[in-house]
Amino acid sequence: MKKILILIVALFVTISFTQSSFAGDHDVYGPWPVTVKGYSGDKTDSTSYSGQIARHALHDSLKSLSSKGDLVEMMAYFDGSDKNKAIIAPASKDDFLFKQTLMNDLSKGKNLSGKTYKGIINGWPGGMTGPEVLEFMIKKAADSPKGYDVATGYNYPQLISKFAMGAIFYNQAVDNYLDEKLAADNKPNGKPYKDGAAYTGKEHVWDEAFGYWGAAAHALTLSAEDNYNVAKKKDFYAADYNKDGVVDLKKEYTFAHAYYASSFDKGGKTNYLETITHAFLDGRKLISNANGENLTDDQRTKLFAYADVIATNWEKVIAEAVFKYAGEVYEDMIKLETDPSDKNVATYAKHWGEAKGFALALQCGKNNLGETSVKLNRMMGHGPVLMNSSQVVGVDSMGNYVKDQSLEWDDYKLHMLKIQKLMIDRFDIQARSHDQLADMTDLAAKLGSSDSAEND
Amino acid sequence: MNILYELFGDIFYQFIDPKKRIFIFYLLASFLIAFFWLFFNKKLGVKKSLGKIFNPKIFFSKSSKGDYKIFIVNQVIMLLISPALITQLTIATLFFYHFHSISWLNAGMFAGTTAIIVTVIFTSFHFILDDLSKYVVHRFMHKWHILWALHKVHHSATTLTPMTVFRTHPLEGVLFSLRSAFTQAITISSFVFLFGSSVDLVTVLGANIFVFLFNIFGSNLRHSHIGIRYWKWLEYILISPAQHQVHHSISKDHHDKNFGSAFAIWDWIFGSHHHSEDTDKLILGIEKNPNETTHTLISLYFNPFVEIYKIISKKTIKLKNYFQKKNILRRV
Repeated sequence: MKKILILIVALFVTISFTQSSFAGDHDVYGPWPVTVKGYSGDKTDSTSYSGQIARHALHDSLKSLSSKGDLVEMMAYFDGSDKNKAIIAPASKDDFLFKQTLMNDLSKGKNLSGKTYKGIINGWPGGMTGPEVLEFMIKKAADSPKGYDVATGYNYPQLISKFAMGAIFYNQAVDNYLDEKLAADNKPNGKPYKDGAAYTGKEHVWDEAFGYWGAAAHALTLSAEDNYNVAKKKDFYAADYNKDGVVDLKKEYTFAHAYYASSFDKGGKTNYLETITHAFLDGRKLISNANGENLTDDQRTKLFAYADVIATNWEKVIAEAVFKYAGEVYEDMIKLETDPSDKNVATYAKHWGEAKGFALALQCGKNNLGETSVKLNRMMGHGPVLMNSSQVVGVDSMGNYVKDQSLEWDDYKLHMLKIQKLMIDRFDIQARSHDQLADMTDLAAKLGSSDSAEND
Repeated sequence: MNILYELFGDIFYQFIDPKKRIFIFYLLASFLIAFFWLFFNKKLGVKKSLGKIFNPKIFFSKSSKGDYKIFIVNQVIMLLISPALITQLTIATLFFYHFHSISWLNAGMFAGTTAIIVTVIFTSFHFILDDLSKYVVHRFMHKWHILWALHKVHHSATTLTPMTVFRTHPLEGVLFSLRSAFTQAITISSFVFLFGSSVDLVTVLGANIFVFLFNIFGSNLRHSHIGIRYWKWLEYILISPAQHQVHHSISKDHHDKNFGSAFAIWDWIFGSHHHSEDTDKLILGIEKNPNETTHTLISLYFNPFVEIYKIISKKTIKLKNYFQKKNILRRV
């Protein structure tokens, strides 16, 4: 009898362990098996996206530095440095401890400038390419107290950060790794990514795209709220997945657009973080299951379908951010009409910087947005309309801003509303944070349908 | 199959949605009011009162059967048309945008007003504006020949039941929907623009409180054979069921009277007011001897088109004659 009891208990324990490991396989990005044919090294995990995490840390650090006025230091994070620089952000706070404190703990020799979108940035004055715009902004930030230029209304930490996320992470992922690098002859799955690597071409391409997305490897085991709190360094328990007492930036932290996705999703109307992360997991599973062989056309078609889900929803996340900050700018403008204090002006500039940064980022995807870009840039303008009715309209040959009579204040307010509408019409976004027409939508619903074939 | 489900859902919804006129409790309230009126005021006794209210000659008349049929068919038509109709929100958005370009208006200029005050004003304003717009549109439905051709469908009813509200030509339904969309849009956009997010609607069971009161106090009796009359002074303010029944009367004295829906004030102001009369003595409809086809679906739906065609043809001929005469005069 005793033996049978032990047998039953053992059976239950085995089953429960098996189930939990299945769950782990299903929900967490990595570890993935090594499938490279003829691999002779000792690695058992083919997951590798530490270079992308290093760039997230470079970006966060650069944002933090851009309000401090040290140009050399900022450029060290933008262009990269021979020195093993400190990770300025994200940095440990109270009990929220990070495993890594130095850039080389993540990856050596990485920079941001080399991976910035090289096309012309139409929404910014001066006809500059992506890296040129960022360098220009960095230099202007160094000249502005706390990175904020009162004369133009530019808040550089916001502009730099929001634009960089699009021009680097979003562009690299959707326009490079999830686009041409998925072609059959580009980084094939039948070969290692480079000689001696523990990962195949396609495995690494996919991992790099995931790295840029910025979600924690265990993001799907958490709620949107938890993921958000991980990024805000408010929930150490949720972040420390392997329970080793520290948060591993390489796997356990929420960066960049994944953070913004969680911020929209926690409102309950959208599911961007889960949708995108799930597509990444499904794609990686498909590649791993190919077991080091070149992908068939059928497999690549499926992979492109996952890539499409990722790119479409990622674009929506950025469009939601444009929507949100355009709404905040509108609210700030109303506030300024009755209370034009310096504090309120600074808040307006901050939100405008976020709106503009995201608007520029939105145009760094793989698709040319065409008329949407033109409308968006025209309505937002090169700079915010200031209280003295001036606005930046261009940049001269010396790199100085040219200002002119601005649009009417009320017209500019209306532009913010139209930008919100443009985001809905073009991208069908649903979270719609700071929706300026939400009150009207609610009232219309309360009054009920206007359709009636009734004779009173 | 889906459309069938949707159709049954829509029909069923009319009876369980407190925003709709024939919500089951509004019908019940109307019944109770009718009963008490006949029992206490007309001293008819229980049996006679009930007999009068549920008179099968009314509810199963050719006219009423026509109402029921048109109700069902219109549900199908509106189900197909409504997605194409402009919504109140689209119009409201355009108004809201436009307000930004008016220099003496500022978004949220009265945002500091106490929320409860804004809500009460909003609720009343919408009800009053909605009622006024109903009066105006209704008046036009009678005065303009082309519109009268459509509105005649409603007036061709020779017996009235609560279902007669649905005896409406679908084209007229489109006009009513646009009217409703515009009034909602004006109210919503102007209030949100001026007062910000403190605007709300006072509701009972989800319906505007005034709509609720209008309905719970027997709005369904307007289209019925129960001629409830108010005191004379009250009939200048609110339209009694009997006053609306006068509106449906065939008598010349009653033509183009009592266009209002809830308020009689509009009729009073614009000279179309008429006090109630004994409903039992009224002949309802548009012609003394309605023929066999008056209440058939074919004539209800297609006669207006024939009539509109005739009106337009007549006008075209008149116009042609006018120009021809002018030419002749010039030549001379």
